[in-house]
Amino acid sequence: MKTFNYHTPKDVKEASKLASTSSAFLAGGMTTIPSLKLGLATYKDVIDIKSIKKLSGIKVKGKSVTIGATTKHAEVAASKEVKKAIPALAKLAGNIGDAQVRNRGTIGGSISNNDPSACYPSACMALNAVIHTSSRKIPATKFFAGMFETALKQGELVEAVEFEVPEKADYQKHPNPASRYAIIGVFVAKYKKEVNVAVTGAKSCVYIDKDLSKKLSSSFSSSAIEGMKLGHSEMNSDMHASSEYRANLVSLYTKKAVEAC
Amino acid sequence: MSLGCGVGLWESAEVRFNPTGQISVFTGAHSHGQSHQTTFAQIAADELGVPMENIDVVHGDTDKGTFGMGTYGSRSLTVGGIAIVNACKKIVAKGKRVAAKMLEVNEDEIEFKDGEFVALKSNKKKTIGEVAFACYLPGQRDEMKSPIPEGDEPGLIESSFFDPVNFSFPAGSHICEVEIDPDTGDVKVEKYTAVDDFGRIVNPNIVEGQVHGGIAQGIGQALHENTQYDETGQLMTASYMDYTMPRADNFPEFNLGFTCTHATSNPLGVKGCGEAGAIASPPTVMNAVIDALGGQEISMPATAEKVWKACKAMKKSNTKAA
Repeated sequence: MKTFNYHTPKDVKEASKLASTSSAFLAGGMTTIPSLKLGLATYKDVIDIKSIKKLSGIKVKGKSVTIGATTKHAEVAASKEVKKAIPALAKLAGNIGDAQVRNRGTIGGSISNNDPSACYPSACMALNAVIHTSSRKIPATKFFAGMFETALKQGELVEAVEFEVPEKADYQKHPNPASRYAIIGVFVAKYKKEVNVAVTGAKSCVYIDKDLSKKLSSSFSSSAIEGMKLGHSEMNSDMHASSEYRANLVSLYTKKAVEAC
Repeated sequence: MSLGCGVGLWESAEVRFNPTGQISVFTGAHSHGQSHQTTFAQIAADELGVPMENIDVVHGDTDKGTFGMGTYGSRSLTVGGIAIVNACKKIVAKGKRVAAKMLEVNEDEIEFKDGEFVALKSNKKKTIGEVAFACYLPGQRDEMKSPIPEGDEPGLIESSFFDPVNFSFPAGSHICEVEIDPDTGDVKVEKYTAVDDFGRIVNPNIVEGQVHGGIAQGIGQALHENTQYDETGQLMTASYMDYTMPRADNFPEFNLGFTCTHATSNPLGVKGCGEAGAIASPPTVMNAVIDALGGQEISMPATAEKVWKACKAMKKSNTKAA
């Protein structure tokens, strides 16, 4: 591991100021630290934002649930408020990685990293989330830009994620047997006027499956999507799963999620 | 010619009965998780009639102990253990000669039982600890005569090399039940029962642990573990993020049973047990999977996607037949 400067800014303003082309914000460090150790990434400055109190916590207000960027997965999973407002979100958080990861990893870290197999991005997409950053508010559909890429600019820091409380929702994932990341994960959220089906793990970046969403918007039942064949030409094909297998899992787990709603 | 090649082969042991009563047992077999320290201490304690806490098993260092062949082929107890037993028997044999002199009787009038040398006629006795201490006393002095018989040397250290006449032949039967989800191809091992014959079992707890570990390894081989390379020879499954090691939630509780037919190729009647689980479980699990797939051949590991494809093929042929 190469040496770097370690910073612990007191507030978001100071944190943003420290950022450069060769810096990384550090929260749970679930990806940043292994990347540094393996030499996959080197930074001049590592900016630890864990001590910025404002960034952590859960607020439920009317139809919105706002989760601070450095809130850990275990905190979301155990939160009575989240369990009441959006139980599917608490369930998702409770099945990320393992106990160690859940007690260090954060929602802000997960979405900023935008791993194509991460769970949280699918919740953001399906639950009409708005990402509050240090300089603006970005809708989730604009936030996740590509594989490990987001709309965040240099020095821009995720402060919180605001979810819209749905009528019903569920998350189903088929974990990779080795890493337990999602081979595919499907987040289904039903609102009064629409249904969103967000899929993670299947392509290079999380996406809303428009066909599934449309079908379910007109009739919210698993029979509405029975026998629907999904195109798999854009889906990932790797040693863990072929694109054909992933396509099968996406339709299967969408049905499972609808049935669990 | 290379030393140690082939199968069978001998194993060595040295037993040092120290004047303090503490005993060091040196073995050429190496323990890397099989609990030799416990099993070997148990058999030496049985032979010498001392508490096993007094015994220190030393392995893996030919600077200290005798040259050894090592641990492989489930042979540590069946070969290395017998060398320990035989070295202990030599300790007892010398102890008898020394005790006879101490008790002023003939050697054939001494019986060794439960750590004591007893003079049968007089019922006078010496513990093996007292005898060992006497073996280390200085030579003849004015007021004290050494109990070492003529022709024997001081000290109480013996070694043995055991070369068995034949292998031991453990046998067993393993049965498992798997459940397959045809939509995902996920295979779940629902029940697993193993009955093995390991001859005389020295430590049931350790033997069960060995079988558990073997079955777990075998299920991993049958369903999960898969080393994969790309076309340039680069290892792709280079970390546990990509290489699937089985974990506790991949297994049911194992039901184990034992029968006990003593081996005739060694004096303890013991048989090898270390590999049984790993040998039996891959074919057991694969046979169950193949049975569930209507006899379709499938290669190891039977990963979810492979099984899913086989389920699809089965559905197709069933539809055709109908």
